Amino acid sequence: MSIALRGIGKQFGEFAAVKNIDLDVPTGKLIALLGPSGCGKTTLLRIIAGLETPDEGQVLFDGRDATLWPIRDRKVGFVFQHYALFRHMSVHENVAFGLKVKPRRERPAGAEIRKKVQSLLELVQLDWAGERYPAQLSGGQRQRVALARALAVDPDVLLLDEPFGALDSQVRHELRRWLRRLHDELHFTSIFVTHDQQEAIELADIIVVLNRGRIEQFGVPSEVYDVPTSAFVHRFLGQVNELPVQLQGGRAMLGPIEISPAAALPTGGATNMALIRPHEIEIGPEASGWPATVAAVRVIGPIVRLELCAEGRPVNEPMEAEISRERYESEHFAVGQRVGLRFRRWQVYPANGAAA
Amino acid sequence: MAAAEALSKGRGQGPARLVLIAVALLFLGLFLLMPLLVVFVQALAKGIGAYFVAISDPVAWTAVRLTLYVAAIAVPCNLVFGVAAAWAIAKFNFRGKSALITLIDLPFAVSPVIAGLVFVLLFGSHGWFGGFLRMHHIRVVFAVPGIVLATIFVTFPFIARELIPIMQAQGKDDEETALSLGATGWQTFWRVTLPNIRWGLLYGVLLCNARAMGEFGAVSVVSGHIRGLTNTMPLHVEILYNEYNYTAAFAVASLLALLALLTLAGKSFLEWRQPELRHAVAAAHDRTRRINT
Repeated sequence: MSIALRGIGKQFGEFAAVKNIDLDVPTGKLIALLGPSGCGKTTLLRIIAGLETPDEGQVLFDGRDATLWPIRDRKVGFVFQHYALFRHMSVHENVAFGLKVKPRRERPAGAEIRKKVQSLLELVQLDWAGERYPAQLSGGQRQRVALARALAVDPDVLLLDEPFGALDSQVRHELRRWLRRLHDELHFTSIFVTHDQQEAIELADIIVVLNRGRIEQFGVPSEVYDVPTSAFVHRFLGQVNELPVQLQGGRAMLGPIEISPAAALPTGGATNMALIRPHEIEIGPEASGWPATVAAVRVIGPIVRLELCAEGRPVNEPMEAEISRERYESEHFAVGQRVGLRFRRWQVYPANGAAA
Repeated sequence: MAAAEALSKGRGQGPARLVLIAVALLFLGLFLLMPLLVVFVQALAKGIGAYFVAISDPVAWTAVRLTLYVAAIAVPCNLVFGVAAAWAIAKFNFRGKSALITLIDLPFAVSPVIAGLVFVLLFGSHGWFGGFLRMHHIRVVFAVPGIVLATIFVTFPFIARELIPIMQAQGKDDEETALSLGATGWQTFWRVTLPNIRWGLLYGVLLCNARAMGEFGAVSVVSGHIRGLTNTMPLHVEILYNEYNYTAAFAVASLLALLALLTLAGKSFLEWRQPELRHAVAAAHDRTRRINT
């Protein structure tokens, strides 16, 4: 089922949680609503689910106006961050809940319910746990029960509110891969909320970046990561180094490196910031670029992070660069070593942080 | 293990512990156990035969029946009200919510005597609705309806107060999940909300019932003390006592004391069963804390 939002707005008292949101979610896609806390992503998800009513705008399900449909009629599966399993019911009863509350005419027979629950529990690899109670399961297992329960009523849309937020990183990683596989097998439309950019990039077909109740950018993960349309998105989707752009006689400079004619800068001549990701910094011999000193080296598995104090930059604001482990092992940069920096890529934004 | 060790070490430790325990026990003995004992000793002072004669007195029995009758109306009323109020306060945001919370506490704040007087002023023969009630031959004050009203007023915070924190801690996730799975509001209440609050609810009912049966002040003002008609057990005890009929007074009082003991036993049972409840509340607290950080 495709979902469309048209001019959605929602106020909580004085606080505008979301403002004038337009969004199209194509059928069968896995979409991430990504943003910092308070950006309105959960409100948006709850509006789609029918847990909140928007003050203005429309929610369209397959082109039909669903704005005022009660949640029961929307055929959405909703998964909460903290699972919201019914603690007085066994795992089996939890999954069967949606089937047992159907009106008598639509309700499957007992044996059929049992069969369906069993197959769902197999799908989430918990067929052994049917008689257990939620309190007896781990976080990852509980979240899988919550998913099975949501899937039991054959929803057209699966909505997940920070589904992996309460889990430790190992389990989170596994569950992400598992959810991706499940989504690909079952072909429903899924929307999940997260504040974790890595999770969004890893899992989603499309990322919607939200900030202060508005959509900042909408696109496939690589596009949002590589071609951010605003400094906010650039900062939010990964580490960045921020360097002020200096003007020297009509040339825009980062230290001794000329990046463009000043006239090509977004604001012409005013203050600009260049945002550079750690892996976009190239490190060579001192003479090859902006002279700098290695201030710290940290080996993080397959990558190595270097802190670099470039000449003319404040000592307490070192730049961060990332190189591969192989590169590090062949060249062996040491603390105190003199190097030269060049930039493979950068993006310039007006210094106040507004979109370029 | 470590905790057990610390405890056993603590046993031989310092006079402060001993003094504190001694003070607590002394206080309990002096102000709680001894009076309780006196009730039973006095009731049985003239032998078991006199005791049974006293409690099988027909007037005493009408008092017992009236007390049970009043509780049987007041407790269900407050059950419905308490659940509704707790539900509204815990799960919805609305204007005047804090005013409602304050109002629920009102019966705790005012003296029961004043509560009784309010009903006399409202429904008494010279009260606001006195004329109307007389015209329709309805007796409220100095009759059973007044006693029921006063009892409901005095006991209505118990269940709501017990449920509000539990329901607030549990949040709305369970209910919203049930709705998203296609349950109706009614199904959600019976299958999800009620099981989540059952132990807290039972606890509230127990306390409410104990107070409903034991209430003296408010009921005393509206009852009119008509022997055999509008006397509840506590009022009957007072009348007997004022008539120097100590054995009978303490015999009836012993029934009330037994009720209190039963309530305590029930309460302990619930607390023993409550690991489940405590666990749920703790988990919910944990959850709200994580959401807030």
